[in-house]
Amino acid sequence: MYLDALEREISARAEDSSAVSTLYVGGGTPSVLSLASWERLIEIIERGFSFSGDAEVSVEANPGSLSRGHVALWRAWRVTRVSVGVQSFDDRRLKFLGRVHNAAQASAALALCVDAMFSVSLDLMFGLPGETLRDWMTDLKTALSFGTNHISVYQLTIEEGTPFARENPELPEGYAQYRYAQWRLTRAGLDQYEVASFARPGYECRHNLNYWDDGKYIGLGPSACGCMDGTRWMNAQRLDDYAAMTLRSLPIVSEERLEGERAARQAAVLALRTKKGIAWETFAERHGEPAANAIRRNLEHFPGDIVANGADASRLTPKGFRLGNVIWSEII
Amino acid sequence: MATDTEKIRNFSIIAHVDHGKSTLADRLIEATHTVEGRNMKSQLLDTLELERERGITIKLVPVRMNYRAKDGAEYVLNLIDTPGHVDFNYEVSRSLAACEGAILVVDAAQGVEAQTVANAYLAVEQGLDLVPVFNKIDLPSASPERAAKEIEEIIGLDASNAVLCSAKDGTGVDEILERIVTDIRSPAGDKEAPFAALVFDSVYDNYKGVISYIRIVNGEVKARDEISFMATGERYEVEEVGVFTPEKRAVGALGPGEVGYIVAGIKSLSDAGVGDTITSARNPASAPLPGYRHVKPVVFCGYYPIERDEINFLREALEKLQINDSAITFEPESSAALGFGFRCGFLGLLHMEIAKERLYREFGVELVATPPNVIYQVKLTDGSFAEARRPSDFPSDPTRQEEVLEPFIRVTLFLPDTYVGPCIQLCQEKRGIHAGMDYITPERVRLTYELPLAEFILDFHDKLKSATRGYASLDYEHIGYRPSDLVKVDRLIQDEPVDAFSFICHRDEAYHRGHSVATKLKELIPRQLFEVPIQAAIGKKIIVRVNIKALRKDVLAKCYGGDVTRKRKLLEKQKEGKKRMKQLGRVSIPQEAFMAFLDVSSDEK
Repeated sequence: MYLDALEREISARAEDSSAVSTLYVGGGTPSVLSLASWERLIEIIERGFSFSGDAEVSVEANPGSLSRGHVALWRAWRVTRVSVGVQSFDDRRLKFLGRVHNAAQASAALALCVDAMFSVSLDLMFGLPGETLRDWMTDLKTALSFGTNHISVYQLTIEEGTPFARENPELPEGYAQYRYAQWRLTRAGLDQYEVASFARPGYECRHNLNYWDDGKYIGLGPSACGCMDGTRWMNAQRLDDYAAMTLRSLPIVSEERLEGERAARQAAVLALRTKKGIAWETFAERHGEPAANAIRRNLEHFPGDIVANGADASRLTPKGFRLGNVIWSEII
Repeated sequence: MATDTEKIRNFSIIAHVDHGKSTLADRLIEATHTVEGRNMKSQLLDTLELERERGITIKLVPVRMNYRAKDGAEYVLNLIDTPGHVDFNYEVSRSLAACEGAILVVDAAQGVEAQTVANAYLAVEQGLDLVPVFNKIDLPSASPERAAKEIEEIIGLDASNAVLCSAKDGTGVDEILERIVTDIRSPAGDKEAPFAALVFDSVYDNYKGVISYIRIVNGEVKARDEISFMATGERYEVEEVGVFTPEKRAVGALGPGEVGYIVAGIKSLSDAGVGDTITSARNPASAPLPGYRHVKPVVFCGYYPIERDEINFLREALEKLQINDSAITFEPESSAALGFGFRCGFLGLLHMEIAKERLYREFGVELVATPPNVIYQVKLTDGSFAEARRPSDFPSDPTRQEEVLEPFIRVTLFLPDTYVGPCIQLCQEKRGIHAGMDYITPERVRLTYELPLAEFILDFHDKLKSATRGYASLDYEHIGYRPSDLVKVDRLIQDEPVDAFSFICHRDEAYHRGHSVATKLKELIPRQLFEVPIQAAIGKKIIVRVNIKALRKDVLAKCYGGDVTRKRKLLEKQKEGKKRMKQLGRVSIPQEAFMAFLDVSSDEK
């Protein structure tokens, strides 16, 4: 059902797309799809889109379901990056997160992808209940031992309405973990190019950078989000709703278009996630001088060790990244 | 038409709070059949809902009673009720000026209290005939002999012929009525002389405009007479004259010695000032009657609407309140924490609370009140004086300030001798100067202290209550300004002075109070992106410093597969929470911090 619906959505979308420069197959672990399903998926995508010569194609892989067959298939297709959803190298914490894989499977999956010569990224999560700084140091050390050229770190956030929220566990502050990650990963040669992302130079995820650059993208599948010419949309979240909607038209359930200074402020927040920050000249061209100046004045309130305000650009310092949410909420 | 002065008695009732004044008034009204029994509600004269609830009388309401005395003649007895609280001394003097006599009520069980003394002396000074009454003689603990001894020793009046009364069961009420006729003189007054009447109160009525309560001294007044107010010179035509039954009832005319009201199309209370003399416009009196001293507010505080856009509503409510409580003053001010509001002046703490409560009940205005303060006189080095109503009125450079004077009061306390120790200790703590102590009876002590008013209004009442388990009564009078070693303590947050947090206190207390406020602020101001020092300073000298550590907590949330909108909404929510904070320099201070500093208790209602 899913692939049929996806095919319908892609054919409805295909006409308004030019050559794809990045593709990210993720969000709910695509590696659970069987090899046969993958072959069909590749076929659908290839029929719907054309790719530019240096296109970045990333796939998210779940250590619990990744097989050699997947890797071979991806290798044969146009996949360049694999992002492995490790989360932790500690079985106890993996269990807390409700993951089906264990630490050994995570290591095996990583080894498989690195050996296949993909550009490999791994996701790690910190701030879990009972996690000490020492636990986190061990996770990072293990992560670095695989020699991946990209690591993303996230803090656990409890969403309302989830089983986690009902348990209401006590979480560590997380500041020290994040601070340590910045230090340890940078020392290992992985630059922090975005608030949650560390990469060896040249291996940044272009797909994600496009989000922060307020660029265009199409989201396909249930609950996918997209952005075209200033309008953002979101697809139906439940698979059956999504599938039913694709029979008639595009499966969009909400749309939003920000204008003027609100659009500028959202763009500024996105840009400040990255090392590049806000380049004022292009920002002013896109959003107008008044909005740019208003945001610039807001940013000037912050101390220099948090926001580096230069003549050409404003960007968060490493300390600023640690306090990102506070700063963004000031300028949104 | 008007009653013969020989047959008029004008009197008031003087009593300490709780000594049963209002109940006695009710009994008198009942005994003279002024109000039908079925219309009686307990404590009829306390017309404000609030007064009945608190069991205190603030606003006097006159009542006219007809009484057939033992001599067979019909008399008109005008009772002008008086407020019992020290804040409202001025109302007492107003009432007394319209009377020839007073009933002095003393609780036979409790004896003479501080308030009784002050009001009895006010009556004596105005030459009133006094009828002593011992109330609550039905109580087992009643001791009329002791009460008589106290009256004679403390006040110096002959209490041998005091009426023994129980307003509760009606004992002695008839005797009181008779004694009003026999012991209180009838008013003097010349019917033929030019009309002259004293305004002893004014109320505002939505339909009739200002209603002036008057006591006629000479001449007569009736509808369509042309009158003028001697202070303002404003002329009006009388629309209605009447008496208090206690409901207002129109009569044909009012003559000398009578108490009643007039309606004359007066639009504003300021045109009908209490204490002014009304006379005939055609045939005016040669000189105004002795008026009242103008009462000046002594306690000030800020009133701010809870909803900021209700400022105009609050202004209107204050204007209307001022119409029937002319002792209230107000002027606009603004506060960093509370926005726009009014600095209001009151006669005392109770007056302040009552005003707040009335604004809420009668006008539906919900407000926050800042803690009360007094007016300081600042003597500058160039010899001039500046009046300081708030810390920011003090010179920013303390070297320009030669001396600070603050208002003092003389407090008289009546208390059982077992509590003398804690009481003296309290007064000392409050920077009091001992001014006298004597035993009224072997168990009862009169203690006199001179206290800074600022200390008194802070929490003296509460502390006295707990120090004496409520057994002390007090009275006070203002005794003028005196120099004190006062300093303005400035608050610096992130090295920037924040006016809203500065305060005035005695030099010896500056450190202690500076520190406790700093600690409180430290708890209330959230951690910022950087370390924030909170300091207290006198001039340039820093006396206290505490630090708020830099923020170390942040949520580094994942941005789900390009779901930018969701992230933005989360940030906007976060920002919304921050909006309620006041940005001072780079520091965001939540409203609660200001509120806590003001120590506004919102659970009063």
